[in-house]
Amino acid sequence: MMFFFLFSVSGNASNPEFKKKKNSECLLRLRHEGLLNSCPAGVASCPASSCPFRSPRSPRLKLLESALLLGPRPTAGGMEFSELIRTGRAQAELLRGPGAPPLRGTLCVTGHHLLLSPGPQATSDLWLLLLRSVDSIEKRVAGDSGTITLRCKDLRVLQLDIEGVEATLDIARSIEALSSLESVITSFPFFYRPKGLRLGDAWHFHPPEHYYKRVARETNAWRLSEVNEDFSVCPSYPRAVIVPRAVDDDALARSARFRQGGRFPVLSYHHAPSGTVLLRSSQPLTGPQKRRCAEDEELLRAVLAGARPGARGFIVDTRSAQAAKQARMTGGGTEAKAAYPGWKRLHRPMERGRPLQESFVRLVEACGDLEQSMDRWLSRLEGCRWLAHVKEALSTACLAAQGMEREGACILVHGAEGTDSTLLVTSLAQLILDPLSRTMTGFQELVEREWIQAGHPFQLRCAHSAFSHARPKHEAPTFLLFLDCVWQLGRQFPLSLEFGEGLLLALFEHAYASPFGTFLCNSEKERCLCEVRTRTHSLWSGLNQPKEQRKLRNPLYVLNPLAIWPSVEPQSLRLWQGLFLRWTRPPEPSEAAWEKVWQIVTDKEKTEGSQPTVSASEPQP
Amino acid sequence: MVQESVLNTNNFKKTSRDGVNWDLSEAVPRLPGETHVADKEVIYICPFNGPIKGRVYITNYRLYLRSLETDSALILDVPLGVISRIEKMGGATSRGENSYGLDITCKDMRNLRFALKQEGHSRRDMFEILTRHAFPLAHSLPIFAFLNEEKFNVDGWMVYNPVEEYRRQGLPNHHWRITFINKCYELCDTYPSLLVVPYRASDEDLRRVATFRSRNRIPVLSWIHPENKTVIVRCSQPLVGMSGKRNKDDEKYLDVIRETNRQISKLTIYDARPNVNAVANKATGGGYESDDAYHNAELFFLDIHNIHVMRESLKKVKDIVYPNVEESHWLSSLESTHWLEHIKLVLTGAIQVADKVSSGKSSVLVHCSDGWDRTAQLTSLAMLMLDSFYRSIEGFEILVQKEWISFGHKFASRIGHGDKNHADADRSPIFLQFIDCVWQMSKQFPTAFEFNEQFLITILDHLYSCRFGTFLYNCESARERQKVTERTVSLWSLINSNKDRFKNPFYTKEINRVLYPVASMRHLELWVNYYIRWNPRIKQQQPNPVEQRYLELLALRDEYIKRLEELQLANSAKLSDPSTSPSSPSQMMPHVQTHF
Repeated sequence: MMFFFLFSVSGNASNPEFKKKKNSECLLRLRHEGLLNSCPAGVASCPASSCPFRSPRSPRLKLLESALLLGPRPTAGGMEFSELIRTGRAQAELLRGPGAPPLRGTLCVTGHHLLLSPGPQATSDLWLLLLRSVDSIEKRVAGDSGTITLRCKDLRVLQLDIEGVEATLDIARSIEALSSLESVITSFPFFYRPKGLRLGDAWHFHPPEHYYKRVARETNAWRLSEVNEDFSVCPSYPRAVIVPRAVDDDALARSARFRQGGRFPVLSYHHAPSGTVLLRSSQPLTGPQKRRCAEDEELLRAVLAGARPGARGFIVDTRSAQAAKQARMTGGGTEAKAAYPGWKRLHRPMERGRPLQESFVRLVEACGDLEQSMDRWLSRLEGCRWLAHVKEALSTACLAAQGMEREGACILVHGAEGTDSTLLVTSLAQLILDPLSRTMTGFQELVEREWIQAGHPFQLRCAHSAFSHARPKHEAPTFLLFLDCVWQLGRQFPLSLEFGEGLLLALFEHAYASPFGTFLCNSEKERCLCEVRTRTHSLWSGLNQPKEQRKLRNPLYVLNPLAIWPSVEPQSLRLWQGLFLRWTRPPEPSEAAWEKVWQIVTDKEKTEGSQPTVSASEPQP
Repeated sequence: MVQESVLNTNNFKKTSRDGVNWDLSEAVPRLPGETHVADKEVIYICPFNGPIKGRVYITNYRLYLRSLETDSALILDVPLGVISRIEKMGGATSRGENSYGLDITCKDMRNLRFALKQEGHSRRDMFEILTRHAFPLAHSLPIFAFLNEEKFNVDGWMVYNPVEEYRRQGLPNHHWRITFINKCYELCDTYPSLLVVPYRASDEDLRRVATFRSRNRIPVLSWIHPENKTVIVRCSQPLVGMSGKRNKDDEKYLDVIRETNRQISKLTIYDARPNVNAVANKATGGGYESDDAYHNAELFFLDIHNIHVMRESLKKVKDIVYPNVEESHWLSSLESTHWLEHIKLVLTGAIQVADKVSSGKSSVLVHCSDGWDRTAQLTSLAMLMLDSFYRSIEGFEILVQKEWISFGHKFASRIGHGDKNHADADRSPIFLQFIDCVWQMSKQFPTAFEFNEQFLITILDHLYSCRFGTFLYNCESARERQKVTERTVSLWSLINSNKDRFKNPFYTKEINRVLYPVASMRHLELWVNYYIRWNPRIKQQQPNPVEQRYLELLALRDEYIKRLEELQLANSAKLSDPSTSPSSPSQMMPHVQTHF
């Protein structure tokens, strides 16, 4: 379909001027795609009732503003995106790297998007980029034109050649300002209303209750506790958590006070074949005085008692013994041996935070560096240490999984905060052991339960990707590392995962910038305050639409009831080319292979499906 | 084929329960023509699982070891041809457990170590027997291929017929002719008897050109582009020497080649060597085409190193993968072997050749020093990129038969079949490197090749095994003297009589698609399933699970289609009057139309 220029935002006017006929057609189209449900240009001018700044402010919202440091403070009439848009429109050429032809047309900045609408003679469709996915922006002007280089959070590098120096600078400034807005509730997911999806759908797919039902079928040693209903016991836990039946809510609350951030030990996974469990928590606050907490000790004792008489436990600390000891000086620490009989501590140091982010940045730099002498590629790849982190994560997960399956022991995993490497280990261990978590829905549930609801601070960790020049504060690619490990599993066990690389790539993209609300905020508490569940769409409902399946599913999947033990030898681990070299390699050959497999599978289904047709076509007597 | 496997567990248990008096015919697989020579109890020092007691059976073809321990089902099945060196380890007075025995170095990236009892020179027999049969040439014994009496239902020797292959390429045409000048190999003893040369060059011209090319390997056609009629021509270096000799006939001959294609005014010459090596070759009478002598040619060097560099590089690869993988600095160790870098250079060179011919519309002449190592790599890889025919199983066999075997890649010298001289400087893994490049391409284009990884590994296994005559001897004239095609079986007989095993289920036949692999280090991988296949910690699933699953799906589909057809048949039988049918069988067909 061919269509014309959409709408423009002039430098001073906040009212979008619509060219009547054609534009309304475009608007309709955009609305269909769910991109235009509310104001395209500025909130203030938006007539739509769904606009958050038009509706009366609830006291809750005010509370939220102070709680979440909502970016630029809204004015009395509400913050206007239009104030950030100086020139909304220019003629430009877009270069999308090798493989994709350049695109010419009218460039337009809106509140949430960068649009390029090709000229009337062009056959190609509108090109659109979520501003939120811009990681860094670089501008150059020469003569009477300029060039903007956009490095995106999904590692794509785009180049825009723009006519006019003023326009270039203005557009660059607008992109810069709009892509770094920190406010959650003015972010695009709150405006995104795709056709065919209903608000609230899929949000209820994976509550803790759902997983508890499964656990309850397997054992009755555990219960669902709502001690955290108002998020006061632990601000980063969901409302309900699964805990030993023998421990009451008061004891949980006391244990929580003994754990950093209130993250007391909770059930992460019940391994039915061995009757053992996987738990996660944060570090105990033993401090220099080696404090103890009777309820915390009782909790872990109850875990062993609930498993089977005489059961043992391992505490997998994701820090080195020395780091754990040092943490005592700042009030943290680790479980004293004498205080937790039956539990043995193992230290498996894993990199986190800053070093991990730096490793990611170095790797992306190396992958994008076409200048460097390629003879040094392998040692440079090694020097990035990314694959070493993959190996660490997988082998620690194997250790935890082995402890359960082979030793029949219960496992508690924690590092310091228990929101990063801890989740990496527990979620990977489940993938290794649990065939259900390797299905499409099982994996989505795992991500939802072990990452999103478990309080991995996505907003902080994924604020920037590998290109940002801003000083990293809380950024760390822990979730990406998880996805990479899953990809390695999938490569080593090509039939055992029901999903394919497509799903992992989608999760990576959406974790960093998304029109869906799933990865917004840092915890359930914040999501609740922002009303994410009622006012944004869930990524899962987006992904589970039938049209997406071909990209996401693994057509060769067969249920594998066994544990899948990955090889973590360095020669078994590969660079995830599909992600790190995604935009620099020609994708066709591997896509062709994928398509080929799909063809055969769907052919099969088609043939199956057409059987009834045959009998239906039998002449009626 | 050569494997440490646990697959035979059942068979093994049965025999071991029967007691130690094994029926040899049941215990050891034997080929027709294979004869038992000796057997002995030894300790196999497995580098991965420690010492294992077993009985070794030596035949004139293989060394076969079966574990005698109840908890191990280990089997070693090693063709004697893969052995490159046998050494005695320890002496009669050596102390320490298992310190006395034999150390066997293999050509296929592994070593074997057997410990024997120290009393009574127990290893002497085994050493002598193994040496005799692993290195038959030194003992005036025939290579096993001449004893092999296997029968297959297809004859692999019929796969390659040069006339037919040139006809497939549209040759002869009015620019190129087939000549029999080398019928008795008197023009060039390392070339095939049948050559394709420019129509305008007379046999007399060819003889004169031959005097100016190293070992008389004159420029001859390897491949012609079906549309733009540009050609790939191969030869050896010109004999320029220190004095910078020129040869009018050679210059004229290259110009004649250039003129067969009128699209571009220059002929492109790719010298596979690094520039300095080409210059250094002048000292020994060789050299390269200078600008002054060849006005209408452009010369490029492709920087590929010689056979000695490649041999040392592969040796380093073996050092870091066998028996234990160098783990702490895997990637930088791998880098320091330079193996992948050499692969990159070979692929890059081939891409340039292919691109020049296909997009540059210029004819290309490829040579190195003698034109039988790097030249064969470049022409065959470029042809594989340009011509989809060579990506089928038979096409690939023809490619190997043509560019490698018939054009005199010195397999006997490079591999050292049956030869005990393990340190021979002529040995080099050039053909392995070529197969590695093919594997890299098949990785990057998963649907473009009819064959799978197993096909490539099988070719490499029999490159050494000496079970087939395919890779024996250095050139066609020697093979003809030895009547190889009459007296031995071809490897392609084995493969073509059981093609399904070697088929890539993802293969989608495409005509005229040129494949340009990405030859950047970022996209090249070590072929773990080949180089590290002996390490049990490498998850090597055979057959490949993806292929396996895919085949299952294919079978399922076929079953459904069959059932559907049956239903349709039954259905149409019931239809007495077609006009009452709302949907005739022909209308139904689109449902079952498949995309193959």
